[in-house]
Amino acid sequence: MVRQARIAIRKQARGATLVLSIEGELDISTVPLLEQQIETIDESPTTLTLDLSGLTFMDSSGLRFLIELNGRAQREAWKLSLIPSRHEPANLVLRITGADTALPFAQQVPE
Amino acid sequence: MGLEIATQIFRRFREAPEDSLRHELTEAEREREQLVQELRRALRGSERRFEAIVGSLVDAVTIRDREHRFLYANRAAIAHLGFDSWEQLRETPPAQIMKDYMVWDEHGEPIAMEDIPSVRILRGEPAEPLLIRTVHRETGAQRWNLLKAAPLLDEAGEVEATITIIEEVTERRRAELREAFLAQASAALAASLDYEQTLRSVAALAVPDVADWCAVDLLDEDGDRRTVAVAHVDPERLSVAEALRSHMPDRLDPEQGIGRVLLKGEVAFYPKITDEMLVAAALDGRHLQLLRAVGFRSVLIVPMRLGERILGAMTLVGAESERALDRFDLELAEQVAARAAVAIENSRLYSARSSIARTLQQSLLPEQLPEIEGYELASIYLPGVETSMVGGDFYDVWAVRDSWLIVIGDVTGKGIDAAALTALVRHTLRTASEFDCSPARLLELVDSTLKKRPVLSLCTAMCVRLRCDEATLAVGGHPLPLLISSEGVAELGEHGPLLGAFPSVRWREHAVRLEPGSTLLAYTDGITDAQDQGDRRFGFVRLREAVAELRGRSAADVVEGLARRLADFQAGAHTDDTAAIALRRTPAGAAGADHGEAHEVTRAGTAPAIAATA
Repeated sequence: MVRQARIAIRKQARGATLVLSIEGELDISTVPLLEQQIETIDESPTTLTLDLSGLTFMDSSGLRFLIELNGRAQREAWKLSLIPSRHEPANLVLRITGADTALPFAQQVPE
Repeated sequence: MGLEIATQIFRRFREAPEDSLRHELTEAEREREQLVQELRRALRGSERRFEAIVGSLVDAVTIRDREHRFLYANRAAIAHLGFDSWEQLRETPPAQIMKDYMVWDEHGEPIAMEDIPSVRILRGEPAEPLLIRTVHRETGAQRWNLLKAAPLLDEAGEVEATITIIEEVTERRRAELREAFLAQASAALAASLDYEQTLRSVAALAVPDVADWCAVDLLDEDGDRRTVAVAHVDPERLSVAEALRSHMPDRLDPEQGIGRVLLKGEVAFYPKITDEMLVAAALDGRHLQLLRAVGFRSVLIVPMRLGERILGAMTLVGAESERALDRFDLELAEQVAARAAVAIENSRLYSARSSIARTLQQSLLPEQLPEIEGYELASIYLPGVETSMVGGDFYDVWAVRDSWLIVIGDVTGKGIDAAALTALVRHTLRTASEFDCSPARLLELVDSTLKKRPVLSLCTAMCVRLRCDEATLAVGGHPLPLLISSEGVAELGEHGPLLGAFPSVRWREHAVRLEPGSTLLAYTDGITDAQDQGDRRFGFVRLREAVAELRGRSAADVVEGLARRLADFQAGAHTDDTAAIALRRTPAGAAGADHGEAHEVTRAGTAPAIAATA
């Protein structure tokens, strides 16, 4: 099936922090693209910030990805920081699953 | 001077794009008259120099008089027409030369002498370039030629002779046809998982451009041959093939024909079939009659194989077109057969996997829902578009002592891992409920079981304990169930954490009294996350609207109505697996409606008042 690119990922280094800004939809078909971006980070940053503010939708595959990444950060002793989305459909799955409080969000996930 | 003009004419022929040739000729009408005059002079005056130029052209060039007699033919033309010398050609009547060939246009329509450009010119008609396919009656050799002709006018402006350039385009034309066939066949093979239908399409595409007949045979697991496709451009001829099939020998001969292909995986190629060969192959008189009726001229059978395994054979037959199949056809057939083999294998693997997935999926869902007295219960499970995968959605309903337990959930992931995880979750819930059937406690147990697994194992679940008319529920990372009642549609309970995901988490229970006629609807996010073809999501708003319209309907109507709404929305877009379960308290007045009311409502944790109707 041909789909338009539904996700845009921007990479930006700020000192020891690497910021990945993700726009669009994070779901079963776009998670592999984000995974790939993270796999290709050359040097491990001390902090990885995922800026999800431009994310318009997230499903359970996207959530699973965040939970796995958080587990990896804890095992490998680097810091994961998440910036919540401005869009309700992306935050819904976080609130439904309790991930809004369990994952390291830098700000409160909006109601 | 004359020579220059003669070569100019030829250059014109050679350079003009085919479709604009005619236009160009008309536009240059006046100019051409002059050129022709010059050419005539050139023909008369500088024959030697003319011969030096035209004689060495790769394209065949002929000049014929009004009676079609050859006035001139260059070396290429002499060879093209199958002669050794100009003298030999000049002495052979043109009609006799034509008799050796069968000629068709590019659409397969037979061509008569009258259709040939030079003859049309003599009749005063415009002569567009003509693409023809010729087959030599004797040798079966097939050629594609592009004929271009122009008149030579005398001083009075009458056509004195015609000049024809025969450009042989056999390689180019066959490469085109071959590319087209390969592309169409590949598309057909990739388009569907129904391989028998696909093979029939491929066989149909092969006729008549590649061969007169095309057949596909498969070798089944018992080593029996099964013909799945026979194609001929004329459907009436297919009855001959049908009749031939009844003469098929029971045992395949590994030394020849299709037996050699199917049993040994070798190519069987008979470029020229003689009548003696048919006589030798015939089983009886009737069989011989049929073999002759097909008009076998040339037969090519290639195996469809994957490594050492032979899946079948593809047969191409040259018959009434008299064409002899050659190495081009062999290469082409081998390429198509290789692709067909992959398509057959994929399709067989896929159907095997789909049936395993279906069996596994069914084992993960209750075979049928139990009957709960005083309630209606209905569920739907819609597998995703990937039917070869086991989905992660599940539900279960079972009785423990005084209660009924209803669970719906979704393990993340798909396939065998998801199936194993689903089985684990269902088993854990059922076993644990024997000891404690508080929904929050059950979710805790599943959560701790999942956390003990070596890989991240996540699961959402909504668990309801039903006693009488009271439902107590706890939700772990799952969409909240909806209560459809006389007051409208409302979410029930509160969100609790996903199972298997986070440390030190707890779940809270909520109790609600189910009024007669009210329905509790639980669903998985396959419904709200469903996309239409414009990538819009079904979402919570559409869900609530759909459910509100189904208020007052039976439990079965609710889940089926919802499934229909969802199908309309998706309309062919990709679908993920989806489950929903509806529990409706039988409305007052209906049979068994009072059953639940006869007992006192108990709060969670207090002693049960009734025994479940398991």
